[in-house]
Amino acid sequence: MIKIQKTAWEKMVSHVEGTFPKEGCGLMIGSDGVVAEAVPLPNAYTGPQEDFFVIDPKDLHRVDQESRQRGLDVLGVFHSHPDCDAYFSKRDLEHSCPWFSYVVLSIKKGRFDHANSYRPDFDQTEAPKEELIYG
Amino acid sequence: MAKILIPTPLRQFADKKDSVQLPGSTVGEVLKSLTGQYSELRRHLYNDEGKLRSFVNVYVNDEDIRYLNKEATPLTDGDTVSIVPSIAGGSAGVAAPPAPPATLSKDEILRYSRHLIMPEVGMEGQLKLKAAKVALIGTGGLGAPLGMYLAAAGIGRIGLVDFDVVDFTNLQRQVIHGTKDVGKKKLDSAAETMLDINPYVEIDRHEVALTSENALDILKDYDIVVDGTDNFPTRYLVNDACVLLKKPNVYGSIFRFEGQATIFAYPGGPCYRCLYPEPPPPGLVPSCAEGGVLGILPGTVGLIQATETVKLILGIGEPLIGRLVLYDALAMRFRELKLRRNPECPVCGDHPTITKLIDYQEFCGIPTQTHEEKPMDGDIEPTEVKAKIDRGDRFVLIDVREPHEYQICNIPQAKLIPLGDLPKRVNELNSADEIIAHCKSGMRSAKAVDFLKQAGFKKVRNMKGGILAWSDKVDPSVPKY
Repeated sequence: MIKIQKTAWEKMVSHVEGTFPKEGCGLMIGSDGVVAEAVPLPNAYTGPQEDFFVIDPKDLHRVDQESRQRGLDVLGVFHSHPDCDAYFSKRDLEHSCPWFSYVVLSIKKGRFDHANSYRPDFDQTEAPKEELIYG
Repeated sequence: MAKILIPTPLRQFADKKDSVQLPGSTVGEVLKSLTGQYSELRRHLYNDEGKLRSFVNVYVNDEDIRYLNKEATPLTDGDTVSIVPSIAGGSAGVAAPPAPPATLSKDEILRYSRHLIMPEVGMEGQLKLKAAKVALIGTGGLGAPLGMYLAAAGIGRIGLVDFDVVDFTNLQRQVIHGTKDVGKKKLDSAAETMLDINPYVEIDRHEVALTSENALDILKDYDIVVDGTDNFPTRYLVNDACVLLKKPNVYGSIFRFEGQATIFAYPGGPCYRCLYPEPPPPGLVPSCAEGGVLGILPGTVGLIQATETVKLILGIGEPLIGRLVLYDALAMRFRELKLRRNPECPVCGDHPTITKLIDYQEFCGIPTQTHEEKPMDGDIEPTEVKAKIDRGDRFVLIDVREPHEYQICNIPQAKLIPLGDLPKRVNELNSADEIIAHCKSGMRSAKAVDFLKQAGFKKVRNMKGGILAWSDKVDPSVPKY
């Protein structure tokens, strides 16, 4: 289960609505399965960003270091699927990492539609859905 | 000696430490010390072959080791090694069709009105459907509802593969064909119905049996393959061809009152061989012609396949990948099994051993045509059986079908002993008698003959072609089923 506090959730939604029709992404930090803060990050993919995102490892490294200093953990990653449902796609799975929760936000015509959270496995073959509470 | 920073999610496996000092003169050595000290970390960082997992990036200070000397990158005292997962992903339109046509005509807009007013489909989705190309293997039980609904939904191009002719036994379930179509090629009959439903659909007719020689060539032009076949060799053929072509295989199968459906061969997902690495021995799993099928069943299962096909094209909802839906019509229950890609799978695994199409008849243990034509030892023609009856020869004719089949039609002289009951009723037979066994088409009675021979009966023969051949060659008043 992952719980996202209201201010963090609003920041995530407003970030990925802003990047529409491109995919937006970022990290979620907090502790004990509760996301207290969202950290929007630039989509570092150099190709078409309408259906792909990459988080620059340097950004991840930096956010991880900064949150440790504040006693917080990186709990997960969020990204958007513009004009597409919030399922865990083949590409998501191929690039997934089992250490994090993956929150996928479906943005339809520029507005938030729905969201799901997934926990990928080690072999990148499966990503079971987990309970997502936000707002 | 180097300092390793442990990423948050892994600290629970490293005594909750956020960094450790470990000996080693290269990145590889330091990581080896790390996993030596905290063994649980090994499976997080390395796969079964001992390679760093694909999502693991290692940095020395600010440099990614992929751009240095990989795991052989040297370290000096004071260096910091960071483990940073790579994070990427994306929606990746499924089987993304090429640029959709710009518009729909006024007539098409009217036709697809109920799709267009749903935001999940809309104009954009309907144009995707129009741009999509779907191959439909078989226009029988599953192919019938599939063909009709995919045409109605407005799939732009549908390739039909079939070489059969419509017969009366098809009409109980293959609703794409009508009574007037009996004797017609299924391809023509199906295409006619589909074009009547929707003249805007383009239909390719492939009047061939799908084989290892032609499958890749036929299927390569389509985005999605829908399997409506009813036999194991073709199922494995379609599966392997889809894996090789990297095209999703929307699968369905039916038997009596039960059906299954899933999507195979979706890149990253499981394939048919991950579920069934080997075919069953020939004859073990009866076909619909042998075991029967509830006429409505292929409707239900075919429409699950049609739904998944349309969802894949539109990119909506949760596709049936890695999940096998099991449908039981009698209980009226749906269940779901999780399927996983098998990394050892010979065709879709990490190190595939099957990289081109093989001989699927041989793989499924089915004898080739020349074998079948050789008269089987101990076969007897129905006409000869009839002559023996007429002459009043002393022999025992046994019918090894099921009682409900006996009720459909029978040979009056025959004694009914269903194949499954034969072992416990074998004492009703006398090994001194001449015995002839028959069933519907000769398969089950051949097994009965084998059984009796092993039980010590010497004079046992199989009536070739079963009661179907009896109807053809001896008594046309006997109904065929």
